[in-house]
Amino acid sequence: MLARNRNLLLLLPAILLVGACFIYPVTWLLQRSVSEPVWGLQNYVTIFTKNIYIGVLWNTASIAGATTILCALIGFPVAYSMVHSRPWIRRVLIFVVLIPFWTSILVRTFAWLVILQRGGLINDMLIGIGLITEPLDLVYNRFGVLLGMVQILLPFMVFPLFSVMARIDGSYFKAAINLGANPIRAFLRVYLPLTMPGLATGAMLVFIISLGYFITPEMLGGRGDTMIAQLIFQRIDEFGDWPLASALAIVLLVGTGLLFVFINAVLKFRRGRI
Amino acid sequence: MTKSLKISQSALTRRGFMKTALYATVSVSAIGAMAGKAYAAADLSGREMVFASWGGSYQGAQEAAYCNPFMKSSGATVIQDGPMSGSKLRTMVEAGAPVWDVVDVTDTFLFANEELFEDLDFDIVDASALDQSYVHPKGIGCIVWSYNIGFNTDVVGDDAPQSWADVFDVAKYPGKRALRDRVYPMMEIALMADGVAAEDLYPLDVDRAFAKLDTIKDDVIWYSSNSVSQQLFVDGEVGVGVILNGRAFDVNQKGAPVDISWNQNIRSIDYLVIPKGAPNAEVAQHFMTATADADNQALMANTLAYAPVNPAAFADVKPEVLPWLATSEENQAKGFLIRADYWRDNLAELTERWNEWKLS
Repeated sequence: MLARNRNLLLLLPAILLVGACFIYPVTWLLQRSVSEPVWGLQNYVTIFTKNIYIGVLWNTASIAGATTILCALIGFPVAYSMVHSRPWIRRVLIFVVLIPFWTSILVRTFAWLVILQRGGLINDMLIGIGLITEPLDLVYNRFGVLLGMVQILLPFMVFPLFSVMARIDGSYFKAAINLGANPIRAFLRVYLPLTMPGLATGAMLVFIISLGYFITPEMLGGRGDTMIAQLIFQRIDEFGDWPLASALAIVLLVGTGLLFVFINAVLKFRRGRI
Repeated sequence: MTKSLKISQSALTRRGFMKTALYATVSVSAIGAMAGKAYAAADLSGREMVFASWGGSYQGAQEAAYCNPFMKSSGATVIQDGPMSGSKLRTMVEAGAPVWDVVDVTDTFLFANEELFEDLDFDIVDASALDQSYVHPKGIGCIVWSYNIGFNTDVVGDDAPQSWADVFDVAKYPGKRALRDRVYPMMEIALMADGVAAEDLYPLDVDRAFAKLDTIKDDVIWYSSNSVSQQLFVDGEVGVGVILNGRAFDVNQKGAPVDISWNQNIRSIDYLVIPKGAPNAEVAQHFMTATADADNQALMANTLAYAPVNPAAFADVKPEVLPWLATSEENQAKGFLIRADYWRDNLAELTERWNEWKLS
């Protein structure tokens, strides 16, 4: 009893913080989204019937999904090398992966503009070595958005993978080989499933953070790359349209929550199987 | 050791802080009063107000051009705050507790949110010297700026664009052009590019405007940040496009090969307004007169090339700045003032259509 009270006391600061900074504002958003201009679901009807909101919701999900997949493809080998390299190389790799956290997202995004534009570093270099004659469109399109987002979000994939991989006992893999599996089969059937908790955590972090991205699509994106956060900002800042912006925010929150539940369920199911 | 710790702790309490802040305010306004007594038009010694604007060099120039002269002449203290944000301003007025007494807002924001602001008291505010097209019942136009045809002189060479039709001409200027990612003022620009005269624009034929935009849809870099627009023109990423006159002036003065045409320019206004319920509204009303003053407006124009609304100010404008000002007689004749009342009624709906058009 005493121990339980003490635990509760330890949690109190966090509970107060979440209550004041999350539950209260979200309740307020929810209320405005269904009570203005009149009580009802009109704001949600707008979102799910107008092409623009459906289109932007789809954009948001597909950009976040692509970012997650790219982060996993790039992050997996990085995390693997970190686990299996000598300590000093590992330290260097950790340092390199963390570098993006050291500068502001705005500065980095501007830097991408300068590097990727038609007269930028990459195009100049490719033209210089004769690979291309006309500059490539590397920015103000989906490619630019994904590049900018993957760079910023990669650490959220690498570190959960790293911590899970570091705890995997190498003898499982050797046992699989000894029992006659070829390396690819051993990797797919033994190693990959063991990394699943890290992969799922990383994917969830990257996907959920991506859903709310604003600056990167705003600056590196083109005509067709509008994401939901940009619309929410526009509705509030330019029009003071809290009800619709609130409804958009609630849709985003509920969507994220459902995804969280879904991934958890899949993980539990897989764990049951292994 | 223990003692000094105690003292610093007490300074950190709310009351301790308030006391310190109060002393600071009193002593600052006392100095202001002493300096200002000789000129005082209305004696506001010991009073104060909060001025909020967009920060950076712009607000710095406003502080020097409007706030400091006002402090000198009235004895009141002006506290700088900001940056201005539409959502923040709206939230504070709706909550009934604005902390800003004078705010710099764009014309669209003022027209769309008139209920958020106090009426100007023209018994106090002397706006008689101003061009009346820049005076609103709730705001004094403090600067005029414009959307212009911009170009990189290295890219276009001797063949500078002369009209919006040129900017839309992909045969004449192949490659990308920089346009603003907002329906405002892209509707006006597209219609003029399609041959509509400035005086026939309103009410806007938006179907025609979108059809015209369809023709160049993928030959455009759409920007929403003005810093990005500067970057695009300076690096020659685009040859032609739309740019704000002040942004072009800024990079041009720093030596970049960027210039503008004044043909078909679209003027817009920043207003100074008083939020409803502002705690020092009376001081704010007096402040408005200082912003209308010709000398103060000339100072503003000479610093940042933002154009005066008081014609008398032109007497003191430097000759090299004059060609960059949207309200000079010559430039004013080439363009028109955007219809903020039209946009008040249509901005929300057309923005939705704009967003949808971009995705299609």
